Amino acid sequence: MARWGMAADLDRCNGCGGCVVACHAENNISTVGPEQASRGRAKHWIRVERYWEGDFPDVKLKFRPTMCQQCGNAPCEPVCPTYASHHTEDGLNAQVYNRCIGTRYCANACPYNARFFDFFNPSWEKPLQLQLNPDVSLREVGVMEKCTFCVQRIRGTQTTAKTEGREIRDGEIQPACVQACSTRALVFGDLEDRESEVSRLSRSPRGSKLLEDVGTRPAVTYLARLTEEA
Amino acid sequence: MDRRSFIKLTAVSGTSAALASCGNPENQFIRFLPDEDIVPGVAVWKPSICPLCAAGCGLTVRVMDADAEVTRDGQAGIKRIAAAKKLEGAPAHPVNRGGLCARGHAAIQVTYHPDRITQPLKRSGDRGTGQYEAISWEDALAEVVSRLNGVDAANPRAVAFLSRVGAGHRSALIQQFAGHFGGSPISFELFGDDVLRRANAVSFGRDQLPTVDLANARFVLSFGADFLGTWNSPVAQSAAYGDMRRGRPGIRGSFAQVEARMSQTGASADEWVPARPGTEGVLALGLAHVIMAASLQPAAAAGRAGSMVAGWGAGLSDYTPQRVEELTGVPAARVDRLARQFAELRPAVAIAGGAALAHSNGLFTAMAVNALNALVGSVDQPGGLSFTPQFNTGSALKFSPAAQPATPLQMLAADALSGAAVPQVAFVDGVNPVFTTPRAWRVREALEKVPYIVSFGSFLDETSALADIILPDHSFLESWVEAVPESGVAAAVASVAAPVMRPLYATRATPDVLLEIGRGLQRPLGAAWQTFDEMLGASFATLPSTTPDVDAWTDAQTKGLWSGVLPAGLARQAQAVADGATYAFEAPRFDGDAKQFPFHFLPYPSVPFGDGSTAHLPWLQEMPDPLTSAMWSSWVEINPTTAANMGISDGDVLEVASGHGSVRAGAVISPGIAPDVIAMPMGQGHTMFTRYATGRGANPAEILAPVTEAATGALAWAATRVRVTRIGPPDGSLVLFAGGIREHLEQEHR
Repeated sequence: MARWGMAADLDRCNGCGGCVVACHAENNISTVGPEQASRGRAKHWIRVERYWEGDFPDVKLKFRPTMCQQCGNAPCEPVCPTYASHHTEDGLNAQVYNRCIGTRYCANACPYNARFFDFFNPSWEKPLQLQLNPDVSLREVGVMEKCTFCVQRIRGTQTTAKTEGREIRDGEIQPACVQACSTRALVFGDLEDRESEVSRLSRSPRGSKLLEDVGTRPAVTYLARLTEEA
Repeated sequence: MDRRSFIKLTAVSGTSAALASCGNPENQFIRFLPDEDIVPGVAVWKPSICPLCAAGCGLTVRVMDADAEVTRDGQAGIKRIAAAKKLEGAPAHPVNRGGLCARGHAAIQVTYHPDRITQPLKRSGDRGTGQYEAISWEDALAEVVSRLNGVDAANPRAVAFLSRVGAGHRSALIQQFAGHFGGSPISFELFGDDVLRRANAVSFGRDQLPTVDLANARFVLSFGADFLGTWNSPVAQSAAYGDMRRGRPGIRGSFAQVEARMSQTGASADEWVPARPGTEGVLALGLAHVIMAASLQPAAAAGRAGSMVAGWGAGLSDYTPQRVEELTGVPAARVDRLARQFAELRPAVAIAGGAALAHSNGLFTAMAVNALNALVGSVDQPGGLSFTPQFNTGSALKFSPAAQPATPLQMLAADALSGAAVPQVAFVDGVNPVFTTPRAWRVREALEKVPYIVSFGSFLDETSALADIILPDHSFLESWVEAVPESGVAAAVASVAAPVMRPLYATRATPDVLLEIGRGLQRPLGAAWQTFDEMLGASFATLPSTTPDVDAWTDAQTKGLWSGVLPAGLARQAQAVADGATYAFEAPRFDGDAKQFPFHFLPYPSVPFGDGSTAHLPWLQEMPDPLTSAMWSSWVEINPTTAANMGISDGDVLEVASGHGSVRAGAVISPGIAPDVIAMPMGQGHTMFTRYATGRGANPAEILAPVTEAATGALAWAATRVRVTRIGPPDGSLVLFAGGIREHLEQEHR
């Protein structure tokens, strides 16, 4: 059984935001408009965080693309009273929208602010609905949503590989953000496969996990932006 | 809604046609019989080309069945169609190699925008009010032809054609069309690269933007070029940047960015060097001085590019590190160190662009950076800069070259206002100069003098709302598209793609419309093709096929592009400009007294919106800006110390005033900006540009001074000085993603 993971090389990432819009396009994330956005209700399953260091003129800015870390020990899962938020065999923190009753306990528990609540039914002003991806279900009001590692692409590729009677090739599954990334900062694959690129990058001496001291065991590894060779 | 406005609305949206068809059974749509062969639920992938900037990234478009409201043969109704679902970077395209930027992903919303113009429109109200009524294509084209037949054939400025810069087939056709009336297309881009093209023509004999081999560079020094965000070919450059950092075992390229306001690109640099605005060229020559003085390279190594710089042969004695420190504010020791890094970390490459060249002395700055590159041997070498061989579409199509150089937009405006030369007919294609030019040029007032304006726009914006007739173009997904990239690739590339889907509405492809108008004229255009795809076929047929036994045109359509070695007659010729001058530093000219207007004003191309042409796309409006996380907003960036001295807090409403006007927006206190610089992103502040962009934020172009670079006439958009006044506390117009409750909670936890 695979365990899906991602590596984000911060030495390649330049903060362009291509992943952010690619994610909206792939996952039918509705825009909320300026009024709701100003109330903190904008939904970005992946975002580019920025960390300023130093004062003028010796200023540095570091970008960090941040999405659900698909924790091995996910705080969002045990708090869900309806098992909407649950762990899959291949390591994803999955969300069953039909089970979700909107307690938002999971969002409270998530240390990464990776979960987004649907305060309204989504709507698309015609004919923008034509851009919707038929592979991804729409989330209705009162439901929690978040990054799925593009589970529809994972399952699609698994089905194709099974039909063709072969294993999935390393790099064959690309979540929308990984596919979009111009600098190849994001790499996705099977962490159980020692030979996979993501597995190799995850063992890099530059690698670290986000807030790893809280014990969440994330599936995302960040490779530090270093000015000298590590 | 009253009866009158209901009728207007239905006339514009085309639903009246649908109502009319109800009584005509033979016109009813057969809803579930698709237009084309498509299996429900099964995706097919088709090539296309991103139209949103000049880079020409290749797309792969996912197409699936969908029920859409469409117009067919004048009838509107719901139809099952093969619809584009998602845009992805084409993995095999040599420009973007599978990557795609935020704008490219959102381009699909151009096609599915709720405010698209769906049929030809004729103005029914005052100019600028956006009141139009429906007109048939036949009547519309007859009207345009009759207007063109009436223009004075002896006056080369009777017809003005405003369009985008480009080297593709569409541009060639527009060139030919404008040339038929004795003129040349007038292109204006706020953040254009005319100065750099001119400098490259003088230094290297290439009137072209450079292709930078970042992937093989050890040291990159960028003077103001936002090459990872908005400048030149950002996706190609980002891909190469990733490899520069981590693509070579044991080698990590270093990178320094010279600019007074940290751009998205500057944020990725190892070293950010805030030089005083307009002195970037001094820094470049300072580095050259150190390199020559330390005998790291001889002066002669720079060849022609060096000889164009005054004092080069004598080792640039005016540009000692101490003198450079006085002028630029960059410490002498740092100048010395950067010079040694540039000479020793080979290959090293310098890039100039953006604000560094947007000064009255911009050409000098570009010439200085060119000479620095030549000094260390970084021209036409791996890890350096080179010039992509470019397909000359004009010669492939046997078009006659332009009769005369284009009239600069500001001259067109001034002459129209003074009455010296008022165009009789103006065409507008893909540009919005009323929005992107300084108010001081009075482009809007000038266009109002033009008796007849034709727009090919898909949306009502500040410029198309002045048009007397609108002939809406297909969206790029509905038409034949092509691109001839100027840079971003090593070998020559010409991309082409057939329509991905059938047009949703009663629109027509602008190149086809131009050909049709050309046929209808009393003195016909004389083009050999009925349609644009015939023209593309003729052009691609002149290229050598790269696949055995397949002709070049068929091959290009299959692959989405042609790439290879251009035959001699089909490559754009290098054009050396020898003006006999040598270039020396002249203090940049700024508009506004330094006491009255203490700050440099730096408008900059926004990552999602560029110059504002994509502000109508909701995904881009809601995309957090990379440096501020702002969405749906305008803002003013100000240094923390300056803000503290002026009593300004985050989000406070500020007024930024130049000698030419003022704008207001919320303050973003940013460490990455010099204390005497104020920056604002371009893009918002539209008075008319669809439901998503209209009336949102402020347009910094409005307050720009009409300072230009002398040799090119390019707008020196970084040459305006401003004063800043705190108007009041936050008014809620500045929306941040990483704001409010989230940050507050984080602080409580600490």
